[in-house]
Amino acid sequence: MEQLPQMRMHRPATAEEAVALHAEAAAARYLAGGSDLIVNVRRGIEQPEALIYLNGIGEMHEIAESDGGISMGGALTLRQLAENEILRRDYPAVAEAAGEVAGPSHREYGTLGGNLCLDTRCIYYNQSEWWRATNSYCLKHRGEICHVAPGGKKCFAAFSGDLAPALLLFDAEVELAGPDGRRRLPLAEMYRNDGLDHLTLAAGELLVAVHLPALPADVRSGYAKSRVRGSIDFPLAGAAVRLSVKDGALGDLRVALTGVGSWPFLVPGTEKFIGGPLDEETSAQLRELVRAKAKAMKTTTTAPHYRRRVAGVLAQRLAEGLATA
Amino acid sequence: MNDISPVQTIGLPQPFVDGPEKVTGKAMYAADFSAADALVGRILRSPVAHAKIVSVDTARAEALAGVLAVVTGEDCADTHGVLPIAMNEWALARYRVRYRGEPVAAVAAVDEATAQQALALIEVEYEELPAYFTAEEARAEGAIDLHEERPGNIERDVHFDLGDVDGGMAEADLVREMTFQCAEVCQAQMEPHAAFAEYDTARERLTMRSSTQVPYYVHLMLARVLGIDKLQVRVVKPYIGGGFGSRTETLQSELAAALLARKAGRSVKVVLSREETFITHRGRPESQLRMKVGMRKDGTITAVDFEAVQRGGAYSDYGIVTILYAGSMIYGIYDITSARFEGYRVLTNTPPCGAFRGHGTVKTRFAFESLIDDMAIELGLDPFEVRRANLLQAPTMTENDLLVNSYGLDECLDWVEQASGWRQRKGKLGPYRGLGMACSHYISGASKPKHWTGEPHATIHLRVDWDASITLLTGAAEIGQGSSTVMAQCVAETLGVDMGRIRVISSDSALTPKDNGSYSSRVTYMVGNASIDAAQNLKAKLIEAAARKLEIAPEDVECLGEVYRGGQQDQGLSFDEVVMEALGGEGTLTVKGIFDTIPESWGGRKYRGAAIGGTMAFSYAAQVVEVAVDPDTAEITVEKVWVAHDCGKALNPLSVEGQVQGSVWMGMGQAMTEETRLHDGLLLHANMLDYRVPTIVDSPPIEVKIVEAADPHGPFGAKEAGEGSLSGFLPALTNAVADAIGVRATELPLTPDRLLDLLEKTALAERAGGKEVA
Repeated sequence: MEQLPQMRMHRPATAEEAVALHAEAAAARYLAGGSDLIVNVRRGIEQPEALIYLNGIGEMHEIAESDGGISMGGALTLRQLAENEILRRDYPAVAEAAGEVAGPSHREYGTLGGNLCLDTRCIYYNQSEWWRATNSYCLKHRGEICHVAPGGKKCFAAFSGDLAPALLLFDAEVELAGPDGRRRLPLAEMYRNDGLDHLTLAAGELLVAVHLPALPADVRSGYAKSRVRGSIDFPLAGAAVRLSVKDGALGDLRVALTGVGSWPFLVPGTEKFIGGPLDEETSAQLRELVRAKAKAMKTTTTAPHYRRRVAGVLAQRLAEGLATA
Repeated sequence: MNDISPVQTIGLPQPFVDGPEKVTGKAMYAADFSAADALVGRILRSPVAHAKIVSVDTARAEALAGVLAVVTGEDCADTHGVLPIAMNEWALARYRVRYRGEPVAAVAAVDEATAQQALALIEVEYEELPAYFTAEEARAEGAIDLHEERPGNIERDVHFDLGDVDGGMAEADLVREMTFQCAEVCQAQMEPHAAFAEYDTARERLTMRSSTQVPYYVHLMLARVLGIDKLQVRVVKPYIGGGFGSRTETLQSELAAALLARKAGRSVKVVLSREETFITHRGRPESQLRMKVGMRKDGTITAVDFEAVQRGGAYSDYGIVTILYAGSMIYGIYDITSARFEGYRVLTNTPPCGAFRGHGTVKTRFAFESLIDDMAIELGLDPFEVRRANLLQAPTMTENDLLVNSYGLDECLDWVEQASGWRQRKGKLGPYRGLGMACSHYISGASKPKHWTGEPHATIHLRVDWDASITLLTGAAEIGQGSSTVMAQCVAETLGVDMGRIRVISSDSALTPKDNGSYSSRVTYMVGNASIDAAQNLKAKLIEAAARKLEIAPEDVECLGEVYRGGQQDQGLSFDEVVMEALGGEGTLTVKGIFDTIPESWGGRKYRGAAIGGTMAFSYAAQVVEVAVDPDTAEITVEKVWVAHDCGKALNPLSVEGQVQGSVWMGMGQAMTEETRLHDGLLLHANMLDYRVPTIVDSPPIEVKIVEAADPHGPFGAKEAGEGSLSGFLPALTNAVADAIGVRATELPLTPDRLLDLLEKTALAERAGGKEVA
C-alpha cells in the first residue's frame, strides 16, 4: 500500500458550494465512496491536493418518483439502488447492475455518481507508480506509447461501470452542476469512446442526479456480467437488455454494453429485430451482432476474443430470458 | 473420588489456544510493533530484468535530511539462501541484478515520505544483459549464464531410472503419453511480508520480529549476512498472517531491516506492499511436464516415464529440493516398480520460486492422475478401479526407498466413492455436468533436515513452577495452522490435565529451544512427538514426587491427571500438592522432550538426491469433484467436493477439517483462476484484483471425511493434515470437466478463455474428422 499524499478535505453542504470549492482549489477531486479514486491516488495515478467530499449534500441522497419516472441523487449507494423497490419493479436492469458491482462492502461505499464516472481501466495503467515508471508509463498517463496496441495513438483503457449500460437502456439524463449553473445531458452524451478522456464533463462539473423518464408499458429489462470470480472483479463484459413482447413479436429491443470498450454504449442495429419473434435463429443473430460490436482489447489478462464472445452470449441469454418471462 | 479420570483432549475439537487475540484484534503482527526511535525502511528495486551493476551512488540520498541510513550490497557480509549448497542470493544485489524488482538498496528515514524521496536520489548505473523469461529461452544455445557456477542456466538436473521401464512399457497393454503446462502460482497469503529490527548499539545485538515460518533459518542468515556472531541475534516470531511456504526462508525484507537498523543504530520497520510481496514471490514454478505410463488391461501400472522442466526464477532457493520432489513423489502412493525421471530446474530472470504448500508434488500428481484417468476410460475401467488396482500394502519400502508405514488410501477411496454417489450418479448427471476423482499424498516432514547438525529434529521444554502451571516452550512457528494448540493437547493428554494449565510460548530464540520451523508438514509429527516425550518425562517426575509424599512405590501411583493416588480408597493428592512436593529441594522443574527420525525413513541412495522424499509417514487423500460447465461461456462451476484425508489420527479434528478444506480450496485456485503473468519480466498480476484467488462466493461446499490409519510412530498415531489434499483437486477438476464435456485439459489454470479455446479447437478437429486433439 503506497502512502497517500497530504490532501485538504472539504465538506460542502450543497452542490453549488461543492462546485465553488472545486473552482477555488488547485487539483481538486470530488470524493464520494472513494473505492475507485483512493486506489488510484495510492498508485500515484491521481495526486489531488484537495478532496471535496459529497456525502453532506442532502439532495444527492434523495430518490423519488417524478413525472412518472424516477430521480436519483448521485451519492446514493449501490446497495441503496440494488434494494430500491421502484427500481426493482420498473427498471430491474438498474437494480441488478447495482447489485452486481464488486462485493457487498464496495456496494456499501460506492455510489451512483462514482460508478458512472469511473476512470477507465487497463492492466498497464492500474499499477503502482514504480511499475508504470519501470514500464515507461503509457499513453493514458505520462507516457508516449500504448502497451495494448503499440504503435497506435489511441488509448483503449476499458470503461467498466455496471450501471451505465442499464441506465442507457432507459434514455437516462444526468443533472450536472458546474461553474455556469445546472444543465441536463443525456447520459449517452456524457461519454466518448476514448480511454484517455472518456467523460465529456466540463472541468469542475458535478453529477448531482440521474433522471429516468417514465417507462412505456410492458418493458422488461435485465443486466448480466461476466467475471472470473463471482465477486470483486470488474466486468470482462457486461450487458443490459430491454425489450417488450406483443403477440409473440418483439415490440422493443435495446442492448447496451460495458467492459468491452472505452465507453458504455447502446448496440446499434438491434431495431431490425423489432416486429419479429425472438426465436432460435434471431437470438443467435442477436448474439453475433453484439459480439461484432463488442471491441474488447487486451486491457486485462483474460483474452479479448473471450470477452467479445461472452458479451454476445450474455445479451442473447438475457433477451431469451426476458422474452419468455 | 472414584469418578475422577484423566482429562481427554486428543481427538476432540479444540479452539485454538491463540485464537482470542486474533478475533479481538489484539494479536500483534510484525507490522504492529513500534518503538520511539523507529525508522521507516524502504527498498529500492531494479527496473531492469538482467544487468551488471556498474555503480551505485547513494551520496545524495544520504545527504537528505531525515535519512539515517542507506545500505547496498556492499553492506552485506555474505550471500544467503535456504539450502546450504546453494546460497547465491544477495540481500541487496551485488555485481548483478537478475529480475525486475530485485532489491538493490534500502534506506531508513524518519518517515515514509522522506524514505521514498531518498530512494529517488539513489543513482544506479546498469549495463543491461539479455534476459530470459521462460525456461526455454534460458536453456537455449548461446544464452548467457545467470550464475557463473550454473552453466546452461541449469540449477539442477535430476535423472533416475529404477526397475525396468522399457520392459514395463513393452509388457503393458496400453501405453499413453501426454504433455502438460502449468502456470506459476503464488501463495497470496493474507499478511504482506514485514520485519521490525531493533538494534542495541551498546551491546551490538539485534532483535528481529518478522513474519516468518522459519525463525531459526532467519537467525542463521541474519548472522551470516550481517557478519556477526549468532549469539548477537535474537529472533522473535509474532503472530503470522499465513505462510503456505511464502516465508520458509529468510527474505530480503528481514535482511534489509537488520542492515539498516545496525547502520542507523536505531529500530527500523520494513513493511512490504502487496506488490512487493508478490515480487518477493517464492511460489510454485511454471512447469512443463511430459508423462508416459504403461498399463495392463486390469489397470495395474507397469512403468512410468516422466520429464519435468521448472522455471525456477533468478536464484537457487529451494530449487534443487523442488525438482527432486517432483521425481521422488511418483512413488509413495501407488505400487510402482519401474520409473524413469528427467528433471530440469532452470534459472530465469523472474522472481525466485520457493516451497509452496504441497512442495514439488502438485504438478506430478496433476499429470499422473490425469493420464491414468484417460487410460482407465480407454481400457473400459472405472477411475476408482484403476486406483485400487495399484494400491500399496503397508508397511513397505518403495522402489526408491521411501518408508510407508501406514496407508489409509483404500479407505479414503471407499468413502468418497460412496459419499459422492459415484456409482449411481456417474454418467447420469445430464449434459455439461460431470464427476471426476483423484488421489494424492504428502510427507509428514522431511526425515533429513536441510541443515544436518546432528541435533534432534525437535526439542520441547516444559517448565513447572509453584503456581502449578505448565509452560510449554517451543521453537515451532505457529503460523495459523494450530501448532501451538496441538502441542498443548499432546502435553495435556499425556499428563491427563486440563488444557487451561498449559501456556504455550512459541518462537523466541531467547526463551525457546531451537526448531527448524513450520514447513513440509513436519510440526505435528515431530514436535508433537517431542511434546509427548517431554510430558512423559514430567509425568515420571511427578509420579516420583507423589510416591514420596504418599509413601508408596512409584509403580503403585495411579495418575488421574488432576489427582495422583495410591488406590481407589486413597483420597490422593491434587496436582498442586504433587507439584509442591516435586519442587521441594529441587526448585522449579524443567524437563525436555525430543524427537528424532529413524534411519529407515531417511530416503534412498539409488540416485543423487534420493533422500528427498524420505519421511516418517505419508498422509493420503482421495477426492471427488462435481462440476457444471457452461457450454457457451466455458465457465466451470464446482458444485461440490467430497474429500477424505488419512491423517493417522486427528489430534484436533476441528483444525484438521479446516486444513483439508483450505487445501482443497487452494488447489481450486491453482486449478481454475490463479496464475502469475509477466510483461517483459514485470509482474502484471501483483495485486489482489489481477491475481485471482477465489472468493468465498466461488467456494463450493467441501465435505470432509477424516480417515485414521494410525501411524506406528506418529504422535497418538497422527500424520500430516495440512497439504496432502491440495494436489488431488487439480486432476479431479480436469477429470470432472472431461467427464462433463469430453475434453481433456492439460493446461492450468483452466480459465474460461482457455477452456473456450480448447472447446473450439476440439470442435474444429471433430469437424475435420480428427479424433485426437494435441
